[in-house]
Amino acid sequence: MAAVLGIIVGVVVGIFVHTDVPVWLQPYLPIMVVAALDALLGAGRSFFERNFSDRVFVISFLSNVLTAVLLVYIGSLLGVSSQLTTAVIVVLGIRIFSNVSAIRRFIFSA
Amino acid sequence: MAEENEKEADSTQTGVFPVVEKPRKLSRAASSTISSWSEFLRELRHNRHTRGLVSSLILIALGAGVGYAFMAQQRITNTSYDALSESELVTLLDETNNQITRLETQRTQLSQQLDSIQTANNKQQEIERIAQENKDANDILSGSTAAYGPGIQVTISQGTKKDVSAASLFTVIEELRNAGAEVIQIGDVRVVTSTYVTDTKTGLVSDGVLLEAPYVIKAIGDKTALQNAIDISGGVGSSLRVNYGSTVTVVQKSKVDITALAHSFEYKYAQTVE
Repeated sequence: MAAVLGIIVGVVVGIFVHTDVPVWLQPYLPIMVVAALDALLGAGRSFFERNFSDRVFVISFLSNVLTAVLLVYIGSLLGVSSQLTTAVIVVLGIRIFSNVSAIRRFIFSA
Repeated sequence: MAEENEKEADSTQTGVFPVVEKPRKLSRAASSTISSWSEFLRELRHNRHTRGLVSSLILIALGAGVGYAFMAQQRITNTSYDALSESELVTLLDETNNQITRLETQRTQLSQQLDSIQTANNKQQEIERIAQENKDANDILSGSTAAYGPGIQVTISQGTKKDVSAASLFTVIEELRNAGAEVIQIGDVRVVTSTYVTDTKTGLVSDGVLLEAPYVIKAIGDKTALQNAIDISGGVGSSLRVNYGSTVTVVQKSKVDITALAHSFEYKYAQTVE
């Protein structure tokens, strides 16, 4: 799919272009990546369920990333940013696992 | 008839409730999910949402963003303390403790000097003697004179897995310092307090000088302690071997000549106390 193609393009560009991540973004970038991965896998799952819609995907992608960043930001305001980061990662990790298992069920029908 | 109907209505027996199924939406195919590869390919071709140019471009852009962010993040993780394992952190902590001990020794030394000045009969002479001693030591430290003495020579070849990074070379210097190296030279660069090592596209650069592999590092100090600092298991030597695939050889020498001088440094803000 187009998104997978995009990831490949991004990784290749990322290998060759070295950019310095600004300091203020550093605590949020890993969260954003994990949230985006979750959205991508959710899209893959919905594709197999035949209700994939690019509009829904884009909105869920952006809202996922934004919610994750906001949670961590609020956490940093309250002084519990590392705990909230862990919480977000755990929740997203569980979702990624369930999405992958749903996709696996479609591919291997097992 | 009417009686029978009433009987049925009066019946108190409860059966299994009928399952009410939500009417399935009838899609093009009989099943609502994809169950085979041919179906998957057909869906790829016919799904109206994945065909539009604009939507494809958006998907590619989002995907590219994720991929790029991933690589950028991965690069940060490679270099920050976050990524260090517990044992590496413990080593770092040990090194810091060593440094504290050395600073405390230095403090004792300085207070001894102060005492000897205060108790000496000929104060002026004693002050001059200590000043000369300190000057000799500082000349060596600041790199304005050549030095020689027992020490080691470390040769690090370019890694076969990846190029030796500035951070790892810097760790070598730090380890040598912690092991009590008095004078250090990398290639043709004298290591002083302001010395830096950085990665550039052409290779490692230290104090504006391009370093060529194999990197030769000379250090004056306790030979055994210096060699241990590099060769200790799990230390910087083995991490260079394992992570970068470079060969690290340490040779103990009874006389190491350090001839490189540091650039003289013009102090802009700091002034000496008279």
